[in-house]
Amino acid sequence: MDDFLWRAMLGAGLLGAAAGPIGCFVLWRRMAYLGESIAHMGLLGAAIGLLMGVAPLLGVSVLAIVAALLMARAGDGLIPAGTFIGIVGHVGLALGFILLAGMETVRTDLLGYLFGDVLALSNTDLMGIAAASVAVLLASVFFWRAWLMATVNGDIARAEGRTNRFADIAFLVLVAALVAFGLRVVGALLIVALLIIPPAAARPLSRTPGGMACLAALIGALSAPLGLAAAYLKDLPAGPAIVLAAAVLFVLSTLGAGAATMLSARR
Amino acid sequence: MLCYNSIMLSNAPLLSAAHLSLRIGGADILSDVSLAVRPGEIVTLIGPNGSGKTTLLRALLGLLQATGAIARKPGLRIGYVPQNFPRDRSLPLTVGRFMRLFADGPAVAAALVRVDAADLRGRQLSALSGGELARVLLARAIAGKPELLILDEPLAGVDVAGEAALYHLIAQIRDEIGCGVLLVSHDLHVVMAQADRVVCLNHHVCCEGSAEQVVTDPAFARLFGPRVASELALYVHRHDPAHQDYVHG
Repeated sequence: MDDFLWRAMLGAGLLGAAAGPIGCFVLWRRMAYLGESIAHMGLLGAAIGLLMGVAPLLGVSVLAIVAALLMARAGDGLIPAGTFIGIVGHVGLALGFILLAGMETVRTDLLGYLFGDVLALSNTDLMGIAAASVAVLLASVFFWRAWLMATVNGDIARAEGRTNRFADIAFLVLVAALVAFGLRVVGALLIVALLIIPPAAARPLSRTPGGMACLAALIGALSAPLGLAAAYLKDLPAGPAIVLAAAVLFVLSTLGAGAATMLSARR
Repeated sequence: MLCYNSIMLSNAPLLSAAHLSLRIGGADILSDVSLAVRPGEIVTLIGPNGSGKTTLLRALLGLLQATGAIARKPGLRIGYVPQNFPRDRSLPLTVGRFMRLFADGPAVAAALVRVDAADLRGRQLSALSGGELARVLLARAIAGKPELLILDEPLAGVDVAGEAALYHLIAQIRDEIGCGVLLVSHDLHVVMAQADRVVCLNHHVCCEGSAEQVVTDPAFARLFGPRVASELALYVHRHDPAHQDYVHG
């Protein structure tokens, strides 16, 4: 097998595994919209990075993290948080697009930023993704209890003085980091799919939050080889194929759990 | 009246607020509200819809910013039962695991037994009925042995008989762990039968005192109407613990 395929499989698999547990919280907290807006800002970050001649990933990471913290703090002050998040994200997308379109040399890369370019991962990219994924997984274990408490009911956690400000910020930073690294793999338009679909596929098969997180990590990791195999055999774009593989696993788990319920009800 | 814990009542307040005010969108939600809860005391907040009861609790808990002074006993352990507890089916969580997030295993088991919900331990949180959820949330709040229990209409979704039983349970728990209780409720009858002190709120404190004092207060009649006031006055008189053989515990 070619080197680039190995790199793609490792990079996408690690990212999928790391996205699973964090994605569970994104699902439970209904934060998919925030994730999309972060990804859209990430595109602007990539454009600024290219324009300034620094690594696009640096621009993406910085802007994604800043956007995450900014949007999470928006609260319901002057304008509703949902409105604010939607506007910021799409302004980022539009600005990023305009900046990228102005740069003749990177014009062809545009599709890569929107849908990922996992087959073009370099060894350096792979190292970065691996480091980020391991860090995200370790942090998920470390902050598990604090995150879950805040997810179940933020008011109780705050009223009883059980909140951990650092855990809240860490969560946003990690979501932003995943989105930033995911931009190379499945692109700005599809990265949230890697956060949402594996946990959704894990849900019908889980009875505990921990079980769901582990299963989501597994399904996320599994989507990479499945998607890449399909892409290789049928000559499909790799990033979207990985997302579709995750979606197939979601359909299978949902149908399977539904069939099992029906069977046990009949017995 | 209710003298069995008068010694505890003399203690310093667990939580006190002085001159709390809060304006939202040009409307005075709270204006110059002062309030204190002492160890072992049940303080009940009553008032019409939209009178600022929940807002006051949230301000006392630090969930909302209000002007004025709020003082807590240092290191105060609070058990909070919120008015709303949204549940999401996307989160698989049993009652037992939910409670273990906040307290250790033996405390969780004891608290569930105490509210008569031990059989709910393995059930999914999202599958509980309103009444079951109310008991589980109360169990969660008492599992950490709080010094102050704060309950915001903890009984939405509980039928009338269950409501009276749950209030009685809250009073019993107070006797057992000696915590202060601050609760908001809309059911005046049950409230009047269990509260040591009633605070009548309509953006400001209209009147406060024992149940007897409050129902005969002209401000109470203005707030709830003379009919409700006289009916409750009769009710409170009949249910005065000093007038009946009432065994706690």
